Amino acid sequence: MRLEIDATVRRGTFTLQVQTTIDTPACGVFGPSGAGKSTLLALVAGLVRPQAGRVVLDGVVFDDVASAIHVPPHRRRLGVVFQHGHLLPHLSVESNLRYGERLVPDAGRRVSFDEVVRLIEIGDLLTRVPRTLSGGQRQRVALGRALLCSPRLLLMDEPLAALDRGLKRQILPYLRRVRDTFAMPILHVSHDLPELLHVCDELLLVADGRSLAQGPLGRIAGDPGLLPLLHDAGMVNVLRGTVLAHADGMTSIALEGGSTAFGPRREEAAGSRVELLLRPDDVALALRPVDGISLQNQIPGTVLRVTAASDRVLVTVDIGQEVLVEVSGRTVAQLGLQAGREVCILFKAMALSGRA
Amino acid sequence: MLSPAEYEILILSLQVAVTALVAMALPGIAMGWLLARCSFPGKALVDAVVHLPLVLPPVVTGWLLLVACGRNGPIGAALHDWFGIRLVFDWKGAVLAAAVMAFPLLVRSVRLAIELADRDLERAAATCGAAPFRVFCTVTLPLAMPGILAGLVLSFARCLGEFGATITIAGSIPGESRTLPVAIWQYTQVPDGDASVWRLVLLSMVVSVAALVVSEWMSRRLGARLGAA
Repeated sequence: MRLEIDATVRRGTFTLQVQTTIDTPACGVFGPSGAGKSTLLALVAGLVRPQAGRVVLDGVVFDDVASAIHVPPHRRRLGVVFQHGHLLPHLSVESNLRYGERLVPDAGRRVSFDEVVRLIEIGDLLTRVPRTLSGGQRQRVALGRALLCSPRLLLMDEPLAALDRGLKRQILPYLRRVRDTFAMPILHVSHDLPELLHVCDELLLVADGRSLAQGPLGRIAGDPGLLPLLHDAGMVNVLRGTVLAHADGMTSIALEGGSTAFGPRREEAAGSRVELLLRPDDVALALRPVDGISLQNQIPGTVLRVTAASDRVLVTVDIGQEVLVEVSGRTVAQLGLQAGREVCILFKAMALSGRA
Repeated sequence: MLSPAEYEILILSLQVAVTALVAMALPGIAMGWLLARCSFPGKALVDAVVHLPLVLPPVVTGWLLLVACGRNGPIGAALHDWFGIRLVFDWKGAVLAAAVMAFPLLVRSVRLAIELADRDLERAAATCGAAPFRVFCTVTLPLAMPGILAGLVLSFARCLGEFGATITIAGSIPGESRTLPVAIWQYTQVPDGDASVWRLVLLSMVVSVAALVVSEWMSRRLGARLGAA
């Protein structure tokens, strides 16, 4: 996929001005609320028209204000999953699913009904009407409907934001499964970074109507200027490593960089590569290893940077890979934290969560 | 139960009201949609013209129709020359009067119902590949259907009750334009007409209540499907 956006959208006092080229299969658009993420998605879907600029997907011009080109939404062949599902209340689940499928020309049909129903496990719901579905079921049906449009690009606008945490965790694997099964390009909008990291390889950081940075999380997080923003938007660390062994209901992992971490029991066999999420506020710092403490993980490292965020301080520690740690200003003074300082990062085994 | 004359009045009234309803259903829905969803120059004027029969005295509307659709009127002459259709003192004139009088009620209901239809659902349908007309037929219309039905019932009742414009353009000719209200008025003008008036009054109450019951039943069914009930 290659999505080129260079466009300006004005809506009231808000202006979205984005210039970017997205060519990863799954890109997460992320930023604080009100940053213009959803407007960006609406722009790609054709639901809002730019006042200036172009939108081009794989060489097909969707919008070009200079040449007065605007392809209306129904001719873009995209699939959109909205935050609140937007299922048609007067149709059954099956009719909702087939609503877009019916309109795809035979030659363009790449997704089969049975496959989608099996993949997102909605076979039992087909005869129901949307109003009798739970929030999670509704979003699964909305996802199925979008998939059955055989889209050139799947757009997801905060698809899980209306769900509570537990439900989110149930739906995320479906998104991941969809991505791997259909090899469909995805543009996923969310203000929740862990959610995006489940699905996307690259991120596009949007704030105040502008695209600020783009690339893998590691690269974006390397920019000290963006750290406070990332943190406000729910920054998490992604630790890469290899499963060592399972014992005592836990899994030990050899982290890249040489240290070993303990996390909750995982499914993967020894030797599998894994990526683990660790929230910056779940990590503590100590100047030296601590005895007689319940925390399972104590990993030595070196302070790379100390960055002031809104009411917190973010410390980047190098343990062979970069880990962001959130501390208070008081801690910085008490421990004398500064670049080059040797420290230990401490966290509970349970703080390490799997990426999928 | 009904005398042949009463039977004739009932059938004529239903014929006029149903024909008027069928004739204005599509234009009424189209106009309601136009006023709800489109902005164009002169919209306020169109809105005013549509609503005029609601605020004018019915006899004024009837007289204007008579002028326009009479043998020498611009519309009447054309209809007569091209199609041989005569409206004045004819049941088709009664249909015209009923339709024009009930039209604003239908348009208002449709407009409100379409304004309330969730535009996000229309957008979602568009992203699924549905062109605007398909979106209208498969999303907007079904969502607005309870309101549209209510408008149709209201208009039907208005058609049944139309008096002022009807008598002005179509007169009171038995079997041609003597509908229920016209007949009731006629009987009030003759001595000893009270018994006949009572019978016709009861008859129109039965018809109106039946229309209400049917509409209630339909909107309940629709409402249950849409989850609004």
